[in-house]
Amino acid sequence: MTVASEKAEAIQDDTLISIRGAKKYFPVHGGWLRKKIGEVRAVDDITFDIKKGETFGLVGESGSGKSSIARLILRAYDLTEGEILFRRSNGSIVDITSLGDREMREIRREMQMIFQDPYSSLNPRMTILDLVGEPLTIHGVGSPSEIEDRVAELLRLVGLRPEYVSRYPHAFSGGQRQRIGIARALALNPSFIAADEAVSALDVSVAAQNINLLQDLQEQLGLTYLFITHDLGMVEHISDRIGVMYLGRLMEVGPTEEMFSNPLHPYTEALLAAVPQPDPRGNRERKRVALKGEIADAMNIPTGCPFHPRCPYADSKCKAEVPALRSVAGGRQVRCHYAESLDLTGVAAQ
Amino acid sequence: MTQTNNPLPPERLLQLDDVNVHFPMREGLVKAVNGVSYHINRGEVLGIVGESGSGKSVTARSIMRLQPKQALDAGGSIRFRRKSGEEVLISSEDRQSRTMRDLRGNEIGMIFQEPMTALSPVHTIGTQIMRTVMLHRNVSKADARARAIELLTKVQMPRPNDIVDRYPHHLSGGMRQRAMIALALACDPTLLIADEPTTALDVTTEAQILHLLKSLQQELGMAIVFITHNFGVVADIADRVAVMYLGRVVETGTVDEIFYEPKHPYTQALLRSIPKLGGQKARRLKTISGTVPDPFNVPPGCSFHPRCMRAVGGICNVTTPPEVRFPNGQISRCHFAEEFRSEAAE
Ligand SMILES: Nc1ncnc2c1ncn2[C@@H]1O[C@H](COP(=O)(O)OP(=O)(O)O)[C@@H](O)[C@H]1O
Ligand SMILES: Nc1ncnc2c1ncn2[C@@H]1O[C@H](COP(=O)(O)OP(=O)(O)O)[C@@H](O)[C@H]1O
Ligand code: SF4
Ligand code: SF4
Ligand SMILES: [Mg+2]
Ligand SMILES: [Mg+2]
Repeated sequence: MTVASEKAEAIQDDTLISIRGAKKYFPVHGGWLRKKIGEVRAVDDITFDIKKGETFGLVGESGSGKSSIARLILRAYDLTEGEILFRRSNGSIVDITSLGDREMREIRREMQMIFQDPYSSLNPRMTILDLVGEPLTIHGVGSPSEIEDRVAELLRLVGLRPEYVSRYPHAFSGGQRQRIGIARALALNPSFIAADEAVSALDVSVAAQNINLLQDLQEQLGLTYLFITHDLGMVEHISDRIGVMYLGRLMEVGPTEEMFSNPLHPYTEALLAAVPQPDPRGNRERKRVALKGEIADAMNIPTGCPFHPRCPYADSKCKAEVPALRSVAGGRQVRCHYAESLDLTGVAAQ
Repeated sequence: MTQTNNPLPPERLLQLDDVNVHFPMREGLVKAVNGVSYHINRGEVLGIVGESGSGKSVTARSIMRLQPKQALDAGGSIRFRRKSGEEVLISSEDRQSRTMRDLRGNEIGMIFQEPMTALSPVHTIGTQIMRTVMLHRNVSKADARARAIELLTKVQMPRPNDIVDRYPHHLSGGMRQRAMIALALACDPTLLIADEPTTALDVTTEAQILHLLKSLQQELGMAIVFITHNFGVVADIADRVAVMYLGRVVETGTVDEIFYEPKHPYTQALLRSIPKLGGQKARRLKTISGTVPDPFNVPPGCSFHPRCMRAVGGICNVTTPPEVRFPNGQISRCHFAEEFRSEAAE
């Protein structure tokens, strides 16, 4: 197993995953001969750490590269450049980008994903026993009767009745199907779960139940989450720290409360201002300047700061120079030339 | 109950009284719309909010007479005041009647979550708007094209002179949404029915579209029935709100009444379960127990009773609650609504 010892020194004690200089470029083909005509920089020079036991939230408009990051961590995609260090449950540190298939198979037991669509992500022809037990069978963990016991235990853990094992997914509501997906993800005792828009398709009342479940499981099992969503109220509720993405880049990283009450990046300010709140008087009083324009074409990323065509504070320097992601006080990072001098508005805790 | 015999008050644009739409299915009868009553006045924005499956879309399609083939009209009346001032009983019209074809597009516009349900992929944006204009107005092709460009400008489409000759697949999601709005507004409707038009959009584009709809509504004075499952969106755009649950309107009131003095336990519980941005951080979200029952097994009495914290055995599970009307006009369908009078939602 590749133990990157010199890297191991660089990874902090409280870090589970360290993503360093990660790039993922997709070639774009077009024309008659399907020649390569360009590339999409889905993930462009991303660096951040996910700490053990925390929930790290990723937000940003669609197409900003959130799902690609989750897929890179789980090695569903191979990196174009960079490295992703993972602290295994046995304490060793591995660079998952350099692992062979056999080693990666081992690591996958420790990292799982839960998906947005509880309808299409479960095979309709498999019973709940088969669905939840499948990861155990694939990894050859336990006899059939042991697997049955484990599935019953997992169902109880996610608040479903173990008697349901012989039913098919169609007999369950959307929220219950998602719990089945969660039970399946937990089967092999992972330390890390990436939840990509996991509650986005659920109704308000059901989403709240499942969010509570995810938080309870985190507490009981010591899980670490990467929580991807476009719902800023939800991400604020669940995340310890948040990363804001735009066009494949991280614009800002920091602790949730500080970031949302006092954003340092104009894009974070714009996202927060755009959210309509369940508070009609507040909406009327808040000055809600709608962000102009749309996210740029991922094949033609603007020069300088990628946000400059939409940024109300942009000047000539922003058009010419790419700002670096810099560390600022309070464990925060920001990618804006003027982070210190701008006085941005967040959402105040009432 | 039904006041079909009294004429509509002068300010009234649309009124539904005790509307029922059923779907006969192998598993049983789905009462998708189970006695829905709501109204909208000229120039007003009515928000319809509720979880999925509560009957919001089936009701809207029923107003347009565009229900699925299997749908059964099972009673009630839908009345609409035309531009001429005359009242039509929409509920007795057929899908393809002359009146309905004239109303759709000319007096009532509709927009959807997915723009491609309204836009044709094989015609340019301009052609589609021109067709609608020429169908309802006696205008030349050149005038219709000028109108198309005017409408694209009105919906703040970038480069309208260029976009008019483009096909929908050339446009981004937000621009398609604008094109669909332009099409719906082609003949200056007095009523726009918007069914989850911002649900698939990013918050930034959603904010732009909400802003656009509000300014168009004020400029053109049209009324909007705005359907959504998102309480933030409804708080932002609506003047009045109707909350739906399992095929019924459980509460109606002004937007401030619904958000600050809800008088139905379902509305109260839903509002408590939404994490508010910048709100006080609680570790756990408040929830409503259980899930929305499947439509074949709607609970008797008050259909919310199995999930209601205030349910009283022997009453709530037996008798359908009446509409309790408050002096301010707020209506709650709950046996105990009177007792919540002074309770504000925390
Ligand atoms: N498999 C792929 N092939 C080509 N392009 C892709 C692929 N996956 C994602 N992309 C592109 O990468 C960019 C980021 O996508 P994604 O990570 O899905 O963003 P998000 O999850 O934030 O919406 C988008 O422009 C998307 O079109
Ligand atoms: N074509 C159909 N056939 C059978 N049932 C339907 C059909 N369309 C809608 N329904 C049912 O009617 C109910 C209300 O649906 P709908 O109006 O689409 O809900 P909403 O828009 O509030 O999410 C649901 O239970 C749904 O399953
Ligand atoms: S670098 Fe310039 S354009 Fe970019 S966010 Fe900062 S102020 Fe705006
Ligand atoms: S009628 Fe009874 S069950 Fe229904 S909302 Fe009121 S208290 Fe709850
Ligand atoms: Mg995604
Ligand atoms: Mg609907």
